[in-house]
Amino acid sequence: MLSFQLLIAALATGSVYALIAVGLNLIYGTMRLLNVAHGDLVMLGAYATYWSFSLLHVDPLIAVPFVGLLAAGIGAAAYFFLFQHFLRTGSLTDRIEANSLLVFFGLSIAIENLASLAFSGNPQAYEYLDRVIRIGSASIVGNRLAALIIALCTCIGVLLFFRLTTLGLAVRAIIQSRDAAEIVGVSARKTYLLTFCIGFGLAGMTGAVVSLYSQIWPFMGFSYTIVGFVIIILGGLGNIVGSIVGGLLLGVLETFGVAAVGANYRSILIYGVFIAIIIIRPQGLFGTKSTAR
Amino acid sequence: MLSKRTVIGLLTAALLSIPATVQGAEKVRVGYSISRTGLYAVATPVQQQTYELWRDQINAAGGLSIGGKGKRQIEFVSYDDQSEPSKAAQIYEKLISSDKVDLLLSPWGTATHIAVAPVVERHKFPLIGSTASTTLVRDLGAKYMWFTEVTPADFGGDLPKLLGSIGIKRVAIIAMQLPLALETKKFLVPALHQAGIEIVFDQEYPPDIKDMTGLLTSVKGAAPDGVIALSYPNDSMLYLSTAREVGLTAKFQFLEIGPTEAFIQHKFGENLDGIVTIGHWSPDQKAWPKARPFYDAYKARFNEAPDNLDSVVSYMSAEILQQAVEKVGLNHEKIREAIATGTFDTINGLVRFKGATNVGTPNGYLQIQKGVPQIIWPDQIKTADFQPKGPWK
Amino acid sequence: MRPLHDVRIIIAALVTTAAVVVGVLFFASDYFIDFATSLAMWIALSESWTLLSGMTGYVSLGHVVFFGLGGYLTVLTFGMLPIWAALALSGACATGLAVLVGFPCFRVRGPYFVILTFGLSEFVKYIVVNVEARASKFGRLIFGGPDPNEVFLIMVGLAVAAFFLSYFIRRSRLGAGLRGIREDEIAAETTGVPVARLKLIAFGLSALIPGIAGGAFLFRSGYFEPIQAFNPSISFSMITMAVIGGTDDAYGPLIGAVALVTLSELLWANAPEIYMTVLGLLLVVFVIWVPDGIEGRLRNWWKTQRA
Repeated sequence: MLSFQLLIAALATGSVYALIAVGLNLIYGTMRLLNVAHGDLVMLGAYATYWSFSLLHVDPLIAVPFVGLLAAGIGAAAYFFLFQHFLRTGSLTDRIEANSLLVFFGLSIAIENLASLAFSGNPQAYEYLDRVIRIGSASIVGNRLAALIIALCTCIGVLLFFRLTTLGLAVRAIIQSRDAAEIVGVSARKTYLLTFCIGFGLAGMTGAVVSLYSQIWPFMGFSYTIVGFVIIILGGLGNIVGSIVGGLLLGVLETFGVAAVGANYRSILIYGVFIAIIIIRPQGLFGTKSTAR
Repeated sequence: MLSKRTVIGLLTAALLSIPATVQGAEKVRVGYSISRTGLYAVATPVQQQTYELWRDQINAAGGLSIGGKGKRQIEFVSYDDQSEPSKAAQIYEKLISSDKVDLLLSPWGTATHIAVAPVVERHKFPLIGSTASTTLVRDLGAKYMWFTEVTPADFGGDLPKLLGSIGIKRVAIIAMQLPLALETKKFLVPALHQAGIEIVFDQEYPPDIKDMTGLLTSVKGAAPDGVIALSYPNDSMLYLSTAREVGLTAKFQFLEIGPTEAFIQHKFGENLDGIVTIGHWSPDQKAWPKARPFYDAYKARFNEAPDNLDSVVSYMSAEILQQAVEKVGLNHEKIREAIATGTFDTINGLVRFKGATNVGTPNGYLQIQKGVPQIIWPDQIKTADFQPKGPWK
Repeated sequence: MRPLHDVRIIIAALVTTAAVVVGVLFFASDYFIDFATSLAMWIALSESWTLLSGMTGYVSLGHVVFFGLGGYLTVLTFGMLPIWAALALSGACATGLAVLVGFPCFRVRGPYFVILTFGLSEFVKYIVVNVEARASKFGRLIFGGPDPNEVFLIMVGLAVAAFFLSYFIRRSRLGAGLRGIREDEIAAETTGVPVARLKLIAFGLSALIPGIAGGAFLFRSGYFEPIQAFNPSISFSMITMAVIGGTDDAYGPLIGAVALVTLSELLWANAPEIYMTVLGLLLVVFVIWVPDGIEGRLRNWWKTQRA
């Protein structure tokens, strides 16, 4: 049961899940916006990487940070054109989760269909680092290993950023208490902009990482968004460490859980755990009572 | 970057928005619905491209011959059903009663075909189905609908014969919980029992599966010499990468849908060699003189090989329609009569129908060999012999 | 409460509906009847959705679960029960499910409730997928259900019922209580509003008609397959229509459904991706700049005209 092969697979799946969830949770934690279009940024990132590889012959590993920057730019644009107004309007912030969910959902539909119009519905995939690498008793295809390493390093990088830098501290302060943070001189608006850039940038990077081993098509994003939501509930809304651990846990559930209960119960298992946690521990597995509303 | 398909799509959209009367009465209007958005959109481009190729070939040759009395150019009227079968039914209703098209081509997918069947029956409008495979409609007694594709009863029921001929004794079955896979499994399992082939592992998985390591580790543990994955494209991709990682070395490995798709070929290259899938067509079969020219024309136009299943059955349905119209003209009753009783020369050999079922085209299986899908069963149409799956690279 | 005004509205609405229905049945093409059936269905669904989510602010992202359940029960009992009984059973079970899951679900609020309802509908979907696979079913096809005209009448009946349910609840004590929950749940509770019970009632009522509509929809499509029947995009569509129309009064979802179903009819035909893009952008524009929906804007305009 406890095979090393499964553990590696759990890590490979889980680290990418974690990366998705961190970006999603950051935007929720600071602004309480539910970004349903997160997966569509993943899709755009995947296409950007695919093209830079197939048209310009750019190594996907080199493309990762640039795709991230590009997505961060989209994040900044979204903040200035849509959410700056949104976050200032009283009637919208009253029911901010529901309203933001709808705005992002609208964006999501628009992005997916524009992508389908521009890129055609044909799925794409490319061959890269396609050798099976042996690690002890387990094997993993090179591109999945690369994805694992990049995703894990990025997650750790994000964590360090929030622990060690002033900017990161400001974001954490806003997550904990916006009013208190503003009193001590943290600019909520600057932090919001920063969070948008980081959240979207991480989504774009996830796309670059996912494109290494997976197929790319305009409607691929939704399933990633759903995974992200399941994880941030597991780890606790607004809890960054929680999302990373939650992502890895979901990876474990996806591999060891399936091996244990049978693949046909995979989705019932995942949604069952998800529902149980939301009802029993709405603050998430690692949250304290105060982070839950 | 705009793809060719997009440009064509935009042009078509622009053309269609001009009222029909402006375009002149001489064109033959052919209607169909296809899923350009939603769940199925990933699978439909090959069918749409095939239709476009067919239309352009006919138009370049002067047009569609109407009952031997002159030729008319073909014009498509097509809509997106958003991957919702009920919407497809609405669209065929619209094509028939409001757009008043002359002829119909089929949509993509089994569920969509099923949804459309009652509409064409009610209007007595002949429709030749293509990318649909189910026994549910076979027993319907439809009078105005036919299917060029064979049914899961065939590719489930015949598989043990192939297995027997190459000496496979112990198989593992994994199946996606979607209609085509489940229906295939329903016919496969009793046939395996009957053939005395042992099922050493049998499990299903849901459509949103993201990681197969757990599943395929268990399959490997059961030590089968044949793995039958009743899969769709996305999970076929997952299977291929995971089977390599866990070192699944069964000499017979079968994936139901996917190995012939272009993106999977791009991704896996030579690792696809040895994989078996459903399909009864190859451009290399000399008995079908139209097969190679179709392959070449498709490849030249879209810069990728046609799908051995979806492109082929779609093209066949269009060919049959074309030949029926050439013989009897545009009267629907006469077309129905012509299709029901005629024999048609297609890229996949001679087709004739018994009820809704194509009894001319034999069921078959393909194996990817050196990057090319070859027919390995049955003997009368095979283009190569089965080769045990070699080690993953 | 303006009883006279209400009676006039009811009579006007019923007469108009009846006239339209008769007109459609006698003069419209089969295609138009199909279109009208789908319009009526979306009115019924989006009106029902607002009963809980528009009034209390508890946004349900999983309403398709009731629609799918209705379809499933109807296909299971097809041939065994008369049609009206199958539809009644579908509605009753959908309501029962809502009340049952309402107990745990209403323990959480805000984003938790939103995501929980989504998770719940997926959970139920995959249970049905497994049950069907275990029963060796690969989609179920039914023949000999009611003809398209009957399905049209059933859907219109559901749309009318959903509209009036929504109309009267908003003008009742129940409605006042529900609005209290939306404004400030804790305050409402302290002033003696039986919050927990009202939420359950609202959830149950908002599930009733989607359950029946799911059954009726099955007769129209003739085919049941769980992944399609429980497709989350159905939930999203209900929400989009309600929000664009406006959720403050029963006219809102009605206007939203008519606007979007018509727009879709005009646009997807020629440019499907463009239709979907426009739909998405409309949603963004409405939530941010027109939060009270078309209906709210019309009402304000009407007021300023009369002032």
